[in-house]
Amino acid sequence: MKGILKSVSQAKHGLMFIAPAVLILFVFSIVPIIIAFFISFTDLNLKGLADWSNISFIGFENYVELFSDELFHKSIYNTIFYVLIGVPLVIFFSLGIALLLNYGTSKLFTVFRAVYYMPSITNIIAVAVVWGYLYNTEYGLFNYLLSLLSADKIPWLTDPTIAKLSLIILAVWKGIGINMIIFLAALQGIPQSYYEAAKIDGANRFQTLFYVTIPLLRYATFFVTVTTLIGWMQFFEEPFVMTDGGPLDGTISIALFIYKNGFQFSEFGYAAAGSFILFIFIIVTTLVQFKVRKSDTEY
Amino acid sequence: MQSKSFLQKIERPFVALFLIVGGVLVSVPFLWMISSSFKEESEVLNIPPQLFPSNPTFENYINLFQSLNFGVYLKNTLIIVLFSFLGLLLNAMAGYGFAKFNFKGKQKLFYIVLATMMIPAQVTMIPVYLLLNEMGLTNTMTGIVLPGLAVAFSIFLFRQFMTTIPNDLIEAARLDGAGEFYIFFKLIIPIAKPIFAVQGILTFIGAWNSFLWPLIIANDESLYTLSVGLSLLQGQYANNYALQMAGAAFMVIPIVIIFSFFQKYIVEGFTMSGLK
Amino acid sequence: MRKKSSIILGVCLLAISMVLGACSNSDNSSSDGSKEITVWAMGEEGKKLSELSKKFEEEHPDIKVNVQAIPWENAHDKLLTAVASQKGPDIVQLGTTWVPEFADAGALLDLSPHLEDYPEFKPDNYFEGAAESMTFNDEVIGVPWYVETRVLYYRTDLLKEAGYEEPPATWDELKEAATTLSDRGDDYYGLDIDQNDQITPFIFAWQNGYEIDAENNNLNFDSPEFREAMNYYHSYFEEGISQTTEGVDMVQAFKDGVKPMFFSGPWMINILNDQAPDLEGKWDVAVMPEKETNKSSIGGSNLSIFHNSENVDESLEFLSYMNEVETQLEWLEISNTLPSRVKAWEDPALSENKMLATFGEQLENTKAAPQLKEFEKIAQELLASIERINVGGADLDKELDDFSKKANEIIED
Repeated sequence: MKGILKSVSQAKHGLMFIAPAVLILFVFSIVPIIIAFFISFTDLNLKGLADWSNISFIGFENYVELFSDELFHKSIYNTIFYVLIGVPLVIFFSLGIALLLNYGTSKLFTVFRAVYYMPSITNIIAVAVVWGYLYNTEYGLFNYLLSLLSADKIPWLTDPTIAKLSLIILAVWKGIGINMIIFLAALQGIPQSYYEAAKIDGANRFQTLFYVTIPLLRYATFFVTVTTLIGWMQFFEEPFVMTDGGPLDGTISIALFIYKNGFQFSEFGYAAAGSFILFIFIIVTTLVQFKVRKSDTEY
Repeated sequence: MQSKSFLQKIERPFVALFLIVGGVLVSVPFLWMISSSFKEESEVLNIPPQLFPSNPTFENYINLFQSLNFGVYLKNTLIIVLFSFLGLLLNAMAGYGFAKFNFKGKQKLFYIVLATMMIPAQVTMIPVYLLLNEMGLTNTMTGIVLPGLAVAFSIFLFRQFMTTIPNDLIEAARLDGAGEFYIFFKLIIPIAKPIFAVQGILTFIGAWNSFLWPLIIANDESLYTLSVGLSLLQGQYANNYALQMAGAAFMVIPIVIIFSFFQKYIVEGFTMSGLK
Repeated sequence: MRKKSSIILGVCLLAISMVLGACSNSDNSSSDGSKEITVWAMGEEGKKLSELSKKFEEEHPDIKVNVQAIPWENAHDKLLTAVASQKGPDIVQLGTTWVPEFADAGALLDLSPHLEDYPEFKPDNYFEGAAESMTFNDEVIGVPWYVETRVLYYRTDLLKEAGYEEPPATWDELKEAATTLSDRGDDYYGLDIDQNDQITPFIFAWQNGYEIDAENNNLNFDSPEFREAMNYYHSYFEEGISQTTEGVDMVQAFKDGVKPMFFSGPWMINILNDQAPDLEGKWDVAVMPEKETNKSSIGGSNLSIFHNSENVDESLEFLSYMNEVETQLEWLEISNTLPSRVKAWEDPALSENKMLATFGEQLENTKAAPQLKEFEKIAQELLASIERINVGGADLDKELDDFSKKANEIIED
């Protein structure tokens, strides 16, 4: 009896806490997604937007067309390339830097927390201009440094494969900041007593790191992994400002493909269909992560 | 034993050195942005790039303030920031609800919340606009702030961190007769300070830079934000880089202040005294 | 305890509703019976337009003008939402390449019934290429506000050193001069061609006599004129006269003399004056070199009335005012954009400025980008094909055959 009462009150209060945010999300995110889902089965373009009687239902035509669109295939390949290389790098670097920054509390470390956060607040136009310099094949700083080592010039942004890697480096540089402060906050959450206990047990630094710190960071790591994956699967800004998808479509991502079709060519139906394919990819990836994670026990 | 103490002795300077080298590398574009804002236009795109302006000038900043309707833009930006912090509270509550309460369909609901992060924002832009139009909220501040109040990323982050708060603590407070909101405001928020600090920084940056939505919703320049005002300086063919860098640098200053303000909470950490 | 938090919540909600209420009070109707028209103008021009609109208000005390400046980058998004919600401005500035798209969607009011009443709108008043952009499907959907065209920028000193007193006037001369200049050394080029510019390939094609057969919906991309022009265009890259990789910023390369010639529009005059002040007197502009013709492109912006404007008469009044010769000359001074009215070019401000006069001469001989709503997509396909030829080493004939086929599919859709 008491148990039932308790679960009723749990449900009531739980819903009370989540209701405001979830309601707003429902109206301004879920409903629009459902609308976009319907749009993906139509030929909506600018003409249809102006007068809804110009919209016609075309079934799976957009999806069928996507499957034979070579540019879309290319964008899928590129996106997988970005995710497979970029995501591990972001997680590795942001965790590594957070651990180093957590090492001390002196003024120096405080200042560097801000320094490592800077890339994520640098204006994107400044980013594009400066990295454009760094990557310029003839005059760029990187190739200048390489020439000092009498190494060959690298076509940073003009070879399709190297350009992808260059954009990954840029995105990792820009993406470290946010994840780093999340890890830092999580590190602060580890009670000092755990470290003391480890010390008493005679654990050395690496043992402490691998058997105490990292396992205790698993909630933060899980969060960072899930959100970074979602973010990188929608990789957009870097190719948008640096290469616009070139050279030879070597850097076009799914999100950029969607943007081009939707907002440059006004093919909204086609763009919506593309984004639902991306949506499915992301959902599957995320669900897999949650399933794998299930095996973990609660605190 | 002695070698170990030697290792420990060099460890600290080593870490510091590593951080300094990495830090310099990482902050070059940022420094370039700041220094360019003091350069003359003819110097900005010079090759090789110069880190320091040869004739430092304030002209870009003077220009900036003259061409911006500064007071109005700042007011709008601050209103958006204010409401985004209200949104932050809503997200924290939702995160807490998902982390510490059990009810039917919770997991499904949570997945749905997460799903809202998974679709490119451009795809839902027009539907959201049409919804707001139906509600008569276009060209209003409400229309600008409302859709951005709830953020799945933020809810997820709060949920992840609040899960790590021991249940016993909450149960003990309940046994003492504390109400649910009392527990949330007096117990949970103080414990979760570091994550509030992280979210505070992220929320501030997001709201401070808010751009596309104010532009789309506003049919009147009196609703423009600083970012929108700055982007008006971009030409169709020509870009005045020095002026844009001044604008960008100016936008960054408050972020740096907010960051140093909040980060002390990240550093202070949990005050877990009295807990197991 | 619970009471306290609910009070806090209540106060918060009250505060929100008050602030929001205060902010949503943007009523557009003025109390004194005068009408208000809203104008969407882009970027810097939008900011400067209010100087002119104030003068208009003085002359028309019963009309108020509310100018809203919209950043170029996002103007397209903003226009889309306006079309979708039917809540647009009264008057909108449109880049000429956007006109067909929005005209096709029915977003722009047909001005033909009003042509009689407003002599300023007569197509004869404007450069031929600009007048082309006024009509779409037999409707008059806008008037040219200001124009731009591309000309040849060149370093007078470097050409002289290489033995050329005059800028190249024909395709052969251009090729020859560019070859000589690029032979100066390994890292030198003769002519810069912006591979990301959508209109440049068309300019070459037009000069070679290529035309779209709009009547029969035939793009003619498989015509020998087009093919030959692309061959000529490609030869600059193939022979190393133009740089294939991104290289250095154009202004810098021009300053250093690495790239002594390039094609660009009127905005470049100011950029060169600002960013390369030391170069004064060492460069000039010239009209396009000739093959069959020396046509260049014409672009710029039109002013259109949104289809569901409730203030059509007032908007027409404003449009007419903006396109008076005198206003256009004033606008030239304010914004540095070139007048669309042929007559304005008789003014000494234009005819006695040698560089601007060159633009005036070129404007007599221009074509507008094809008036197709799919132009953006076709142009991007063409650029992608050209990139595959220039950079990827693909076979030119095969690529262009594919492109021609694809382009036809795009317009048939």
